[in-house]
Amino acid sequence: MPKNSHVKLVTPWTLWLGLMGLVLLAGLGAGLLVFWKGLGITNLTDLVPWGLWITIDLSSIALSAGAFSLCAGVYLFGLKRYQPIARTATFVGLIGYTMAMLALILDIGRPDRFWHALIYWNEHSLLWEVTMCVMLYLTVLVFESMPIFANFEWLRKRFPKLAHTLEGVHHYAPILAIIGLGLSSLHQSSLGATYGVIKARPFWFKPEMSVLFMLSAIVGGISLTLFASMLAGRLTKKAKINDALIEKVAQFVGYLLIGYFYFRAWDALATTYTYDPGRSEGLHVMTKGPLAFNFWIGEMLLGMIVPMFLLLYKRTRQNPFWRMLGLFLVAAGVVAFRWDLNISGFLVVMPFVPGQEIAYTNYSPSLVEFLSGAAIVAYGLTAFSLGVKYLRVVDHSLVEEEHETVNIRTNETVAV
Amino acid sequence: MTDNKLSRRDVLKVAGVAAATVIGLKVVKPAQANESAPTGGRQWAMVIDQNKCTGCGYCVMACRAHNDVSPDITWNPVFEAGQMGEKTVYLPRPCMHCAKAPCVEVCPVKASYYRPDGIVMMDYERCIGCRYCEVACPYGARSFNWEDFTGSNPAVPEWGEPEVDRRPRGVPEKCSFCYQRIDRGLALGLEPGVDMDATPACVGVCPVGARLFGDLNDPNSNVSKVLRENPSYRLREDLGTGPRVYYLPASAEKKEA
Repeated sequence: MPKNSHVKLVTPWTLWLGLMGLVLLAGLGAGLLVFWKGLGITNLTDLVPWGLWITIDLSSIALSAGAFSLCAGVYLFGLKRYQPIARTATFVGLIGYTMAMLALILDIGRPDRFWHALIYWNEHSLLWEVTMCVMLYLTVLVFESMPIFANFEWLRKRFPKLAHTLEGVHHYAPILAIIGLGLSSLHQSSLGATYGVIKARPFWFKPEMSVLFMLSAIVGGISLTLFASMLAGRLTKKAKINDALIEKVAQFVGYLLIGYFYFRAWDALATTYTYDPGRSEGLHVMTKGPLAFNFWIGEMLLGMIVPMFLLLYKRTRQNPFWRMLGLFLVAAGVVAFRWDLNISGFLVVMPFVPGQEIAYTNYSPSLVEFLSGAAIVAYGLTAFSLGVKYLRVVDHSLVEEEHETVNIRTNETVAV
Repeated sequence: MTDNKLSRRDVLKVAGVAAATVIGLKVVKPAQANESAPTGGRQWAMVIDQNKCTGCGYCVMACRAHNDVSPDITWNPVFEAGQMGEKTVYLPRPCMHCAKAPCVEVCPVKASYYRPDGIVMMDYERCIGCRYCEVACPYGARSFNWEDFTGSNPAVPEWGEPEVDRRPRGVPEKCSFCYQRIDRGLALGLEPGVDMDATPACVGVCPVGARLFGDLNDPNSNVSKVLRENPSYRLREDLGTGPRVYYLPASAEKKEA
């Protein structure tokens, strides 16, 4: 193509897309292999039926929590100047929830029947509730993201009317924020309760599970959005960030971290002073056994204590590098928490034969699990970078028009 | 115009009402729903006498043949439960058919459900394969079909002929108290627990008669009588699941006798 010879083919951007393309291709192959051969080619067993994919699923949902919490802050609690960050968070959320869907489709034994949860309701099941909330919330996110897709240059030129309609959806942002807050509060905590109600596994069976999931999701979700925005701001001119705005939210994350640390530490401590069979063993697996590094270093030190310092100490917070590092560590710590939490309940095998000793099992993901899991993450990264490049996802100079003229007669519908 | 404007206050009001409605629904719903297995009519239960069980494993094989279970899976394994003097005590473990079954509670699509006679059933056509039931079962009674079961069943025909369809890949399966034998037997006018053609295959095949099967609601059934006259226990009773499988514990005197 001599005509295009002045266009540089090898740029960091094309290299990045190429790399992501490779990971996606490998993962697509692995995923198809799973659909064809079945879950027998994973390292999942009857003792550890949920593994890497469920961790990706839980983490994607947790790290998407910036969307509902920041939208609630902006549209319900009047913190309007953070609206550009909430936009980014909404897009991150849209990506995260679709990532979770992909992981679930891989993980369930009968992906052809995924829609059964919509038809056959078991309102007793936490997983049913989570499925419904996630589906509904994904719909909310699609609506919330419409104004973002309206920024697509091609769409604006080719279908200006459609772009205008999509843009207009932001008038409903407050309503969507309410629904999003409700649905997210439900399923973010219900995901914790999914584990918390399992009486057969004493290390999970505790009420604070939902609190921990909710809190860690908010902390991690906001952190990921801030980190992604800052990273985009450093890598491309397409991303325009307002550093002061980010710094303010980062400080808020620092304070939230104290709360999260408080609950997580008490959770571990409270488990210490119990001798319920299975609980002490679970704690042992986590603090001294195979998960000890993850727990002490991944979750506690790097996931909470270090970023707490980095985000609350003014000098490190003001330094973009240290702030980015802190935010990244928080998000990674939440992923570590999800992994530890899921696996710790399985590694301890509770006996049901009287007098039998507690046994232990182990799990490490197989290559197909890794490859397909990596592809899900690569899909997320690709989608975000395309968003930054073409949809002005990270653009703090972009201010939406006022949204207060929504034509809803709240006074008539709310009887107080 | 002010009426049409949506203030932050109004938004929070709406949010409050919405949240209260949702919470209300969540609180009210479970109380109205059926929280455990039905208790009327016939209530099937199994009694396993650990004094008699020799661990021969015939029950495992008969179960495998009659229910066409894959060699990778065992619905009804027999475990060593300890020593009593010089003799080993065994513990066979079918599905407990709990009155409050965690698997039924957690299944997102109601693929696990209670039959009116208390049998905890699986609808293999409805199951999506999420394995939450497997995570929740305290007895490890569920096995996932990680692979397709193709080819011949090594237990057939020596131990019996398959009476049910093979389960597809991607769903968990478990002991069903041989519901197909019970239903067919009742239709033929047979009495489950008395007529072995209407009784779970593991009960009939046991060479030492270590297993009994019958109706808990019938005071004259063999299971009711045995449970009245002997001390018995159930697995992990502390969990409150209410298993329908009772064990007669091995005792030193009986072993010697």
